Amino acid sequence: MTAAHAWRRLRPPFIVWLLMGTLLTCALTVDGFIAPGNLANVARQVAVLGVLALGQTFVIAAGMMDLTVGALATLVTVIAAHWMDGQAARLWSGVAVALVLGLGVGALTGALDRTLRIHSLILTIGMMTVLTGVVFMITDQSSGAPSPQLAALANEDLHGVPLSFLMLALLTLLAHLGMHHTRFGLHVQAIGSSEEGASHAGLRVAQAKAATFVVSGVLAAIAGLLLLGRLGTGYPNAGSGLELDAVVAVVLGGTLLSGGRASIVGSVAAATVLGVISNVLNLLEISSFVQMALKGMIVVTVVLLNRPAAQGRA
Amino acid sequence: MKNPSIFTTRRVAALSLAAGLLSGLASSGALAQTSPQQQKMQAAEKVDGARFKKAGPYTIGVSAGYLSNSWVVYTLQHIRYEASLHKDVKEVIVTDAAFKPAKQVADIEDLINKKVDLIIYWPVDNKAIQGALQKAVDAGIPTINTGGGFYYSPSTTSNAYIGQFDLGEKAARQLFKDMGGKGKIFAMLPIAGHSATVDQLAALRAVMKEYPGIELLSVEHGNWNRAKAKQITENLVQRFPQIDGVFSPSGQMSAGVVEALDEAGRLSAVVLSPADEYNGWLKLVVKYGKGGIITFPTRVGRDGVQLGVSLLHGDTVVRGRQVPSQVIPVADAAKYVMSDKGDDAWANELPAAWQPK
Amino acid sequence: MSGRLRPGLEQAAIWLVLLLLIVIGASLSEAFLRPAYLANMLRQAAPVGIAAIGVTLVMVRGGVDLSVGAIVSASAVCAAALMDGDATRLPLALLASCALGAALGAFNGVLVASSPVSPFILTLGTAIVFYGGTQIVTGGTAKGAIAPGFREFFNHRLGGVLPLLALAFVLLALLGVALQRRTPFGRSLYLVGSSPAAARLCGLPIGRITVLVYACSGLFAALGGLALLARSGVSGSLAASGYEFDVLAAVVLGGTAFQGGRGGIGGTVAGVLILTVAFNLVNVVGLHYHAQLIVKGVVIVLASAIYRRIGATSGVSA
Repeated sequence: MTAAHAWRRLRPPFIVWLLMGTLLTCALTVDGFIAPGNLANVARQVAVLGVLALGQTFVIAAGMMDLTVGALATLVTVIAAHWMDGQAARLWSGVAVALVLGLGVGALTGALDRTLRIHSLILTIGMMTVLTGVVFMITDQSSGAPSPQLAALANEDLHGVPLSFLMLALLTLLAHLGMHHTRFGLHVQAIGSSEEGASHAGLRVAQAKAATFVVSGVLAAIAGLLLLGRLGTGYPNAGSGLELDAVVAVVLGGTLLSGGRASIVGSVAAATVLGVISNVLNLLEISSFVQMALKGMIVVTVVLLNRPAAQGRA
Repeated sequence: MKNPSIFTTRRVAALSLAAGLLSGLASSGALAQTSPQQQKMQAAEKVDGARFKKAGPYTIGVSAGYLSNSWVVYTLQHIRYEASLHKDVKEVIVTDAAFKPAKQVADIEDLINKKVDLIIYWPVDNKAIQGALQKAVDAGIPTINTGGGFYYSPSTTSNAYIGQFDLGEKAARQLFKDMGGKGKIFAMLPIAGHSATVDQLAALRAVMKEYPGIELLSVEHGNWNRAKAKQITENLVQRFPQIDGVFSPSGQMSAGVVEALDEAGRLSAVVLSPADEYNGWLKLVVKYGKGGIITFPTRVGRDGVQLGVSLLHGDTVVRGRQVPSQVIPVADAAKYVMSDKGDDAWANELPAAWQPK
Repeated sequence: MSGRLRPGLEQAAIWLVLLLLIVIGASLSEAFLRPAYLANMLRQAAPVGIAAIGVTLVMVRGGVDLSVGAIVSASAVCAAALMDGDATRLPLALLASCALGAALGAFNGVLVASSPVSPFILTLGTAIVFYGGTQIVTGGTAKGAIAPGFREFFNHRLGGVLPLLALAFVLLALLGVALQRRTPFGRSLYLVGSSPAAARLCGLPIGRITVLVYACSGLFAALGGLALLARSGVSGSLAASGYEFDVLAAVVLGGTAFQGGRGGIGGTVAGVLILTVAFNLVNVVGLHYHAQLIVKGVVIVLASAIYRRIGATSGVSA
């Protein structure tokens, strides 16, 4: 392997450069950005989206999309809030309930995808609607509370670094290993590049695809727990809209929407960039409507600049 | 390869667990509600501004739970107007959470970092932001819940409130009185889960206890959306051959309800509850002579600023200052209509320069 | 390559599903037998349906347009603001908002045509820009006022039964079908969608076609915005948020696949009606508000699955 080849393999995606550039620029020009309290805030704020983006990366790498994650995170938030009800003793049972729920729903989505064979976009839109309905059947107002340990995880720091950010870092490491250094991850990317080719090569396509939904579901459950810790209550609209944000983060991060080569680090970096931009625009007191327009322009611009060498839809 | 059954053991177990949880939750008890009397006592409590006292000039931070609703836009203008009347207020910073509680938490944290002296807010969900608000209070920033219902908590320093419960209660009473105490009604409420919805429904049910002759056919959620309320009403009209009254304190939705009833030819048989000063609704009140007004004054924004600035001066204020909702009969509605303006405006007393553009 | 095998059966299948739903509805509530009620549903479906016509064309070509909700909102605001309650300004307002829609759509088209990046993410980004831009202009309130007569005109019922807005929807759908079947432009969409390489070899100007089809989508979205204005009377700036999902569901239900090259507006209309009937069905029957969401989701998934069974593709699910 030549040095150039090795460099290309290791080269971080564009978004990482963008993130570093953004952080540097903001640190130098925006008043209050590098105040330690502020950076910690941003890190905390990014955690939930970051976790969702990790899961979404797997699904998109396989060539599909999972729009259930926002509603699933909300469902977990609400159910965990009820179960834990603010009691410390119920922490681990609550976490277990959440993970099982994420796993179950993800498995169901995967199974439906496999048997019904409709486009994942439509399937997950339908499931998202069902999950939202279920959430509201459980409660139509904010209720319940996280165990204090969960609230601490979502809100407190260790030597100035938010615990939730450390958790995100750990999950990122695991996801990165899972995507790039296990057979599963490599298979997922292969399937995303060419499902037929992967099938001919003997890969178990159907199982791998279903498994990506399970990964996405479990991570959505973790995000739901973090969200509960952060909000301190089970709010029935907690996660709405996060699914599209997660897709945006993954695509900004350099993973192709058509599937194939994935970048876990890119997804998290992109989620961080989005969080930083939101924070900076608040610090600059820019109106929320302008913020929205700017966010859209950034998405379009980054995506155009991210232009991959070969692949893409015609 | 043959597809195996989707019902593997693992999945069945997961789904059963979820089903068990759901049924357990369905039977969980109702939340404790403070009674109106309790609320009055809490609101009358005094808050000592000594710990918030600081010298000006002051920066006010407004954490808006949402801005995509004309009512809050008018309230914000009242906030800005009132701020301009105080020489020691130099700036008003506004953040918008666009209906996302997690974003509102982030916005409040950002405002604290920007070293605002006062935070005025209206929540998406009160409970979700208590943690963030507490950080503000700990940093010496008073927090004023403005425009929503009264909220009693150490993280909310004071309230300038209208009381969705109070609003709902007065609207329900007027409706039942106009109906002669009996008949079948449906309720058109805002977004499910929102505290306004919860309070309005609670008020309706509370007043219904005094009127056993009233039957609630259905609770619907029009999400403050006129078209949606209209569509839902079109269906209700099909479903229920007899509808005697409608409980709908939101003018935007009442406008849709009335149109649907009119197109179905059922309007004359239905009594409408009063609704707020939404201009589109006011025009219809004048046109059809129905319903009346129950005020939801956007000037509550001014009270919020007044409370906050008093605290910054070190004065003592009450825990909750209520801007009362008033019932204005149909006959007087004409005085409030702004016929030169579009539907999406709110009757108010702002000077012309401060009206939203 | 997926072709249009048994197109007749595919088209028929979706209308059969719709008929089935109506029959179920009629058995549960006699409202479904009343022409006025059915015509009413047609009118309810108009804003989403008209916007979906344009998106169908885009998807036949192999793209997708997620900014449709944003364009609907933007054009509704534009029309209301220009009309400002003055009936003489009506033509100006209508023309301007259509032009705005087409322009925004063309902008999308240029982006898509000039870059290999997925149109999904591009139009998602532009949707955010358009929404933000609309909010900036309105400042959060709805702007302007409807000219008198505008709503009355569209809500007037022909023969006491058919609202003009519903008729407008049907006419626009027929126009769309004519476009897709009779014009070279329409036919080229199918070719580009099913095999861009072949289309290029045939010498088709793919870039120009792309810009044009997205402009069409923007135009139809603007018309949808006018329909929304006619129905609801006020152009709340977030009036159509959530439309993109409803439109996508309807188009896919109707048989137009993401891969492109097949499907059509006829199916989309059936898809929109299925969703409208389903919503009304559960509402009329009195299911709890939240159960309606569950039913809607199940209908979307089931109908797509049934449709897929009947359809003739050997597809992959992505």
